Amino acid sequence: MSKQLRSLEIEEIKKLIPQRFPFLMIDRVLEASPEKVVAIKNVTANEPFFPGHFPDQKIMPGVLLIEAMAQAGIILYRQKFPNDKLLFLVSVKARFYAPVIPGDQIRIKVVPIKLMSKMGMEKAELFVGDKKVAECELSFGSQDAKT
Amino acid sequence: MPDKMQEEILDIVSMVVEKEKKQIPLDAHLIQEVGADSMMALEILAALEKKYRIVIPEEKLKEMTTVNRIIAMAKAARKK
Repeated sequence: MSKQLRSLEIEEIKKLIPQRFPFLMIDRVLEASPEKVVAIKNVTANEPFFPGHFPDQKIMPGVLLIEAMAQAGIILYRQKFPNDKLLFLVSVKARFYAPVIPGDQIRIKVVPIKLMSKMGMEKAELFVGDKKVAECELSFGSQDAKT
Repeated sequence: MPDKMQEEILDIVSMVVEKEKKQIPLDAHLIQEVGADSMMALEILAALEKKYRIVIPEEKLKEMTTVNRIIAMAKAARKK
Protein backbone atom coordinates (compact mmCIF):
# COMPACT_ATOMS: atom_id res chain seq x y z
CA MET A 1 0.00 0.00 0.00
CA SER A 2 2.69 2.43 1.01
CA LYS A 3 4.52 1.66 -2.23
CA GLN A 4 1.89 3.53 -4.22
CA LEU A 5 2.03 7.24 -4.82
CA ARG A 6 -0.75 8.91 -2.96
CA SER A 7 -1.73 12.43 -2.06
CA LEU A 8 -2.64 13.52 1.45
CA GLU A 9 -4.87 16.33 2.62
CA ILE A 10 -4.49 18.27 5.82
CA GLU A 11 -6.32 15.94 8.25
CA GLU A 12 -4.20 13.01 7.07
CA ILE A 13 -1.05 15.13 7.30
CA LYS A 14 -1.92 15.95 10.93
CA LYS A 15 -1.95 12.24 11.70
CA LEU A 16 1.62 11.95 10.44
CA ILE A 17 3.28 15.02 11.93
CA PRO A 18 2.84 16.37 15.47
CA GLN A 19 3.25 20.09 14.70
CA ARG A 20 0.20 22.36 14.91
CA PHE A 21 -0.63 26.05 14.41
CA PRO A 22 1.43 28.20 14.14
CA PHE A 23 4.02 25.61 13.29
CA LEU A 24 2.32 23.35 10.77
CA MET A 25 4.31 24.05 7.60
CA ILE A 26 2.69 21.58 5.18
CA ASP A 27 -0.69 22.23 3.52
CA ARG A 28 -0.90 19.27 1.19
CA VAL A 29 1.15 16.28 0.12
CA LEU A 30 1.07 15.67 -3.63
CA GLU A 31 3.12 12.48 -3.65
CA ALA A 32 4.08 10.16 -0.84
CA SER A 33 6.11 6.99 -1.16
CA PRO A 34 9.12 5.58 0.73
CA GLU A 35 11.28 6.87 -2.15
CA LYS A 36 10.00 10.43 -2.40
CA VAL A 37 7.64 12.95 -0.84
CA VAL A 38 6.44 16.09 -2.62
CA ALA A 39 4.48 18.55 -0.50
CA ILE A 40 3.27 22.13 -0.78
CA LYS A 41 2.85 25.07 1.53
CA ASN A 42 1.00 28.20 0.51
CA VAL A 43 2.59 31.28 2.00
CA THR A 44 0.08 34.04 2.76
CA ALA A 45 0.46 37.59 4.05
CA ASN A 46 -1.41 36.47 7.18
CA GLU A 47 1.37 34.13 8.40
CA PRO A 48 1.97 34.78 12.10
CA PHE A 49 5.71 35.31 11.65
CA PHE A 50 5.44 38.14 9.10
CA PRO A 51 4.65 41.00 11.54
CA GLY A 52 8.11 40.48 13.04
CA HIS A 53 10.05 39.30 9.99
CA PHE A 54 10.16 42.05 8.93
CA PRO A 55 7.77 44.87 9.79
CA ASP A 56 8.46 46.66 6.50
CA GLN A 57 9.36 43.72 4.29
CA LYS A 58 7.72 40.34 4.59
CA ILE A 59 10.21 37.50 4.08
CA MET A 60 9.61 33.96 5.27
CA PRO A 61 12.43 33.12 7.74
CA GLY A 62 15.01 30.65 6.43
CA VAL A 63 14.75 28.59 9.62
CA LEU A 64 11.06 28.07 8.88
CA LEU A 65 11.92 26.93 5.35
CA ILE A 66 14.13 24.34 7.04
CA GLU A 67 11.19 23.49 9.33
CA ALA A 68 8.97 22.94 6.27
CA MET A 69 11.58 20.66 4.70
CA ALA A 70 11.98 18.79 8.02
CA GLN A 71 8.21 18.28 8.34
CA ALA A 72 8.05 16.89 4.81
CA GLY A 73 10.98 14.73 5.94
CA ILE A 74 8.92 13.30 8.82
CA ILE A 75 6.22 12.33 6.31
CA LEU A 76 8.88 10.58 4.20
CA TYR A 77 10.22 8.69 7.24
CA ARG A 78 6.71 7.55 8.18
CA GLN A 79 6.13 6.12 4.69
CA LYS A 80 8.81 3.56 5.51
CA PHE A 81 8.35 3.34 9.29
CA PRO A 82 4.72 3.99 10.23
CA ASN A 83 5.27 4.61 13.95
CA ASP A 84 4.57 7.68 16.08
CA LYS A 85 8.08 8.28 17.41
CA LEU A 86 8.92 11.90 18.09
CA LEU A 87 11.85 12.79 15.83
CA PHE A 88 14.56 15.26 16.77
CA LEU A 89 16.57 17.23 14.27
CA VAL A 90 20.26 16.44 14.69
CA SER A 91 22.07 18.26 11.91
CA VAL A 92 21.22 20.48 8.97
CA LYS A 93 23.32 21.60 6.04
CA ALA A 94 21.29 24.17 4.15
CA ARG A 95 21.65 26.71 1.39
CA PHE A 96 19.19 29.44 0.42
CA TYR A 97 18.98 30.85 -3.08
CA ALA A 98 16.07 33.31 -3.06
CA PRO A 99 13.67 34.82 -0.50
CA VAL A 100 10.15 33.44 -0.08
CA ILE A 101 7.43 36.09 0.14
CA PRO A 102 3.61 36.22 0.54
CA GLY A 103 1.83 34.70 -2.46
CA ASP A 104 4.50 32.08 -3.09
CA GLN A 105 3.53 28.44 -3.16
CA ILE A 106 6.50 26.42 -2.02
CA ARG A 107 6.94 22.90 -3.29
CA ILE A 108 9.07 20.67 -1.10
CA LYS A 109 10.71 17.57 -2.51
CA VAL A 110 12.37 15.15 -0.08
CA VAL A 111 14.26 11.95 -0.87
CA PRO A 112 16.03 9.56 1.50
CA ILE A 113 19.81 9.36 1.77
CA LYS A 114 19.52 6.61 4.40
CA LEU A 115 16.46 5.76 6.45
CA MET A 116 16.62 3.54 9.49
CA SER A 117 14.03 2.68 12.12
CA LYS A 118 15.46 5.05 14.75
CA MET A 119 17.24 7.65 12.63
CA GLY A 120 17.75 8.87 9.14
CA MET A 121 19.31 11.26 6.66
CA GLU A 122 17.38 12.98 3.90
CA LYS A 123 17.90 15.48 1.12
CA ALA A 124 15.29 18.18 0.59
CA GLU A 125 14.79 20.77 -2.14
CA LEU A 126 12.39 23.66 -2.11
CA PHE A 127 10.94 25.28 -5.21
CA VAL A 128 8.75 28.28 -6.02
CA GLY A 129 7.50 27.63 -9.55
CA ASP A 130 10.49 26.17 -11.39
CA LYS A 131 13.04 28.07 -9.34
CA LYS A 132 14.92 26.30 -6.57
CA VAL A 133 14.87 28.60 -3.55
CA ALA A 134 16.53 26.38 -0.93
CA GLU A 135 17.97 22.95 -0.34
CA CYS A 136 19.21 21.07 2.67
CA GLU A 137 20.56 17.80 3.90
CA LEU A 138 19.16 16.89 7.27
CA SER A 139 19.63 14.14 9.79
CA PHE A 140 17.31 13.23 12.64
CA GLY A 141 16.87 10.61 15.30
CA SER A 142 14.25 9.44 17.75
CA GLN A 143 14.88 9.75 21.47
CA ASP A 144 15.68 6.04 21.78
CA ALA A 145 18.39 6.30 19.11
CA LYS A 146 21.03 7.46 21.59
CA THR A 147 23.43 4.72 22.53
CA MET B 1 44.01 -1.52 -2.97
CA PRO B 2 43.53 -1.99 0.75
CA ASP B 3 45.69 0.91 1.95
CA LYS B 4 43.87 3.43 -0.21
CA MET B 5 40.54 2.31 1.18
CA GLN B 6 41.86 2.55 4.74
CA GLU B 7 42.99 6.10 4.10
CA GLU B 8 39.68 7.07 2.47
CA ILE B 9 37.61 5.63 5.30
CA LEU B 10 39.79 7.33 7.88
CA ASP B 11 39.20 10.61 5.97
CA ILE B 12 35.43 10.09 6.19
CA VAL B 13 35.53 9.23 9.91
CA SER B 14 37.80 12.17 10.63
CA MET B 15 35.49 14.57 8.78
CA VAL B 16 32.33 13.31 10.50
CA VAL B 17 33.67 13.18 14.07
CA GLU B 18 35.61 16.44 13.53
CA LYS B 19 38.90 15.07 14.84
CA GLU B 20 42.29 14.88 13.17
CA LYS B 21 43.24 11.50 11.77
CA LYS B 22 46.10 11.06 14.19
CA GLN B 23 43.62 11.35 17.05
CA ILE B 24 41.69 8.33 15.76
CA PRO B 25 43.57 5.04 16.35
CA LEU B 26 42.29 2.31 14.04
CA ASP B 27 41.31 0.11 16.97
CA ALA B 28 39.89 2.79 19.25
CA HIS B 29 36.21 2.49 20.13
CA LEU B 30 34.64 5.38 18.25
CA ILE B 31 31.89 6.09 20.76
CA GLN B 32 33.70 5.29 24.02
CA GLU B 33 37.19 6.54 23.13
CA VAL B 34 36.92 8.96 20.21
CA GLY B 35 33.73 10.79 21.21
CA ALA B 36 31.44 9.86 18.31
CA ASP B 37 27.72 9.12 18.75
CA SER B 38 25.18 6.99 16.94
CA MET B 39 24.13 9.83 14.63
CA MET B 40 27.75 10.21 13.53
CA ALA B 41 27.82 6.47 12.85
CA LEU B 42 24.82 6.97 10.55
CA GLU B 43 26.63 9.80 8.73
CA ILE B 44 29.70 7.60 8.28
CA LEU B 45 27.51 4.78 6.99
CA ALA B 46 25.73 7.07 4.51
CA ALA B 47 29.08 8.44 3.28
CA LEU B 48 30.41 4.89 2.75
CA GLU B 49 27.29 3.87 0.83
CA LYS B 50 27.68 6.86 -1.48
CA LYS B 51 31.42 6.54 -2.00
CA TYR B 52 31.57 2.80 -2.63
CA ARG B 53 28.05 2.36 -4.05
CA ILE B 54 27.26 -0.31 -1.47
CA VAL B 55 24.24 -0.92 0.71
CA ILE B 56 24.83 -1.45 4.40
CA PRO B 57 21.85 -2.81 6.35
CA GLU B 58 20.69 -1.20 9.59
CA GLU B 59 21.88 -4.13 11.77
CA LYS B 60 25.48 -3.40 10.77
CA LEU B 61 25.40 -0.01 12.49
CA LYS B 62 26.03 -1.61 15.89
CA GLU B 63 29.13 -3.32 14.52
CA MET B 64 30.74 -0.06 13.38
CA THR B 65 32.65 0.37 16.63
CA THR B 66 36.19 0.95 15.34
CA VAL B 67 37.75 2.19 12.10
CA ASN B 68 39.19 -1.28 11.50
CA ARG B 69 35.77 -2.88 11.79
CA ILE B 70 34.28 -0.27 9.45
CA ILE B 71 37.00 -1.00 6.89
CA ALA B 72 36.37 -4.76 7.14
CA MET B 73 32.63 -4.19 6.79
CA ALA B 74 32.99 -1.93 3.75
CA LYS B 75 35.31 -4.43 2.07
CA ALA B 76 32.90 -7.28 2.72
CA ALA B 77 29.97 -5.26 1.36
CA ARG B 78 31.96 -4.37 -1.74
CA LYS B 79 32.59 -8.01 -2.64
CA LYS B 80 28.90 -8.82 -2.70
